[in-house]
Amino acid sequence: MNTNDDPPRGTSSRERDRRNRWRVTIWALAWAFSFAAVTLGIKKEWWSSGVTLAAVIGTALLGLATVLAYRLFLRETDELRRKIEVEALALAFGVGVFGGLSFWLLAVSGAVEVKDFAFLFVAMILTHPLAVVLGYRRYS
Amino acid sequence: MKNRLKVLRAERDWTQADLAQRLEVSRQTVNAIEIGKYDPSLPLAFRIARLFKMPIEDLFDPDTNT
Repeated sequence: MNTNDDPPRGTSSRERDRRNRWRVTIWALAWAFSFAAVTLGIKKEWWSSGVTLAAVIGTALLGLATVLAYRLFLRETDELRRKIEVEALALAFGVGVFGGLSFWLLAVSGAVEVKDFAFLFVAMILTHPLAVVLGYRRYS
Repeated sequence: MKNRLKVLRAERDWTQADLAQRLEVSRQTVNAIEIGKYDPSLPLAFRIARLFKMPIEDLFDPDTNT
């Protein structure tokens, strides 16, 4: 039994966060590897259309697993970390959607020439960890 | 929102890490609450009050900013 003088035993929040972050990292790396392999496979025409479809679905499932692992991390982490992560997600979402749509308008108007919008995904992926770091600095 | 967390913690000779472990939050959360940069959720505020055995309104003063 815990008293006020005895800190709670068992899995600490730090251990739990480490475990959950590790899960997110593993799934994200698996997704990234699968995404790269499938992209290369499609470009080089390694597989038949049936195998390609299965590979795309497999990659999407790995992405879903990454999202679910991240959701578990958000649910179980302590509340300040959750706030920082959610604020970072909001910023990354804003960069992707509003930055992307602004750029799209520029492309439609002919002000800029754009071949694809893949850089937007890169911008979102980079914005999130940067916003997390800035969030930790803001609250410390 | 001003609070007495730092004083109460010091009275018990606890570090921020000690308090964080008792509240099952991160040390950063304890630090952010103490310096007034973060207001805890209602469940966490109740946990703090229970730990220090005092009413929430004796711990937190919503009318002042730090």
